[in-house]
Amino acid sequence: MAETRAAAKTIKVSVARFDPARDKKPRLDSYEVPLNDDWVVLDALNWIKSNADGSVSYRWSCRMGICGSCGMNVNGQPKLGCSAFLRDYAPGPVVVQPLNNFPIIRDLVIDMSSFMEKLQWVKPWIIRDPTALGPGEHRQTNAQIDQFRQFSMCINCMLCYSACPVIAVEPSFVGPAAIALARRYDLDSRDHAGSERLRTLTGSDAIWDCSFIGECSAVCPKDVDPAKAIQQTKFETTMGMLLPWGGR
Amino acid sequence: MSDRIGAGEVVEVRLDSERPSSPDGAVATQHRPPRTYPYRQPFTWWLRRRGYLLYMIRELTAVPIAVWMVLFLIEIARLRQGAGGYQPLASPAFVVVSLICLVFALWHTFTFLNLAGLIMRIPLGDRNLPARTIVRGAFVAFVVATAVVAGLIIWGGA
Repeated sequence: MAETRAAAKTIKVSVARFDPARDKKPRLDSYEVPLNDDWVVLDALNWIKSNADGSVSYRWSCRMGICGSCGMNVNGQPKLGCSAFLRDYAPGPVVVQPLNNFPIIRDLVIDMSSFMEKLQWVKPWIIRDPTALGPGEHRQTNAQIDQFRQFSMCINCMLCYSACPVIAVEPSFVGPAAIALARRYDLDSRDHAGSERLRTLTGSDAIWDCSFIGECSAVCPKDVDPAKAIQQTKFETTMGMLLPWGGR
Repeated sequence: MSDRIGAGEVVEVRLDSERPSSPDGAVATQHRPPRTYPYRQPFTWWLRRRGYLLYMIRELTAVPIAVWMVLFLIEIARLRQGAGGYQPLASPAFVVVSLICLVFALWHTFTFLNLAGLIMRIPLGDRNLPARTIVRGAFVAFVVATAVVAGLIIWGGA
C-alpha cells in the first residue's frame, strides 16, 4: 500500500480553510505531505485528515474520476483532486482551494445548490410524446448515439462552472454543464422535447450569456465540449429564425 | 438494539413542524441555511489562464477595427459632396494603424473560420459533415469572396 511505503520526500500542500462559525474569510494552512509517486491531491488531503488535521473538510467519493465529487482548484486551476498527481506539482507547493464561482460552506466544500437548480431547469431527461409510446424497445443506431455520446459523459463535477468567468458576473447564467446536458437530450433521437427545452435555452440567463471564452471545454476532465454545445445551439437557433426550413 | 421496529409494526412519525416549540413560539429545529463565504472574481482574473488572456486579446482587438470602420464610413459619407469630398486619410501614421487593424481583422477571420467546424452541425444522412470539411469550405469561401471584392475595387472602377 502507498501509505505504508516510507516516502523519502515530502511536498508542501497548502489547503484553504474556512470555518463559518469562526472565520471572516478563508486562509491557507500548510502541511508537509509524503510525496509518493502514485499519490494524487486527494491522497494528500486524506493523509492530512488522517495524520495532521482531522477537521479539514472536502468532498470525495470514487477516487477514479467518475463521481465528480472532488472538484477543487489546484494551484489556481480547476481539477479533480483524484486526477491531479502530486508529482506534477513537485517540488511544490501545492495550493488547494475550493472551486471558483461558488459560495464556500467550509474549507473546500462549496454550496452547489445553484447548480442543482440549473440542472433541473434544462430538464436533463428524455421527454417523449405520450402518443409515441409503444410496446417494445426504442432502438437507436450507433450513428444516432454518436450524435450525443460526447455530451452524455458529463459527471457534474462543476469544473466548467469554476472556469467560466461569465458565471462570476452573471450568477444566474445556466452555465456550461447544464447546457451540454440539454444538448445531449436535444440530440437524442428518443427525445421529443426539442422546442420546449430550446425555449428555456434561448431565454434569459442561457446560451446568449455565453461569450465563448471556451475554457469550460479546456478544463473538462471527461472531454465533454460544453462550449461546442452552447455555440451549436446558438447557431441552430439563429438558423431557425432566419431560414424557413431552419425551425424544428 | 432492543427497541428495533418489528416487521409490520406501525410507528408514529412526528414531523419537524410538530416538534415542541420554544417559549417564544419558534420551532426548535428550524432549518437555517449555512453561512457561506461568497466568491468574488478578482480584477486580474484574465491573467489566470492562457485561454482567458487570448480571449481578452481577441475581444480588445475588435475595438481598433471598429474605430477604423467608423472612419471609413465617414470617408464614404463625404462622397455625397462629390468626388472632391473624398479625401481619405493617407498619412504614414494612418497607414501604419490601418495595417495593424488589418492584422487584427485577419486574426479575427482566422479564429472565427477555424471555429466553424465546431459551431456548425450539418447532418449528412445519419452522420454529420466532418468539421474539417466545414472549416476548409469556410476558408475557400473567404478567399473567393475576398478575391471578388478585391477585383471589383481594383478593376471595377477602371
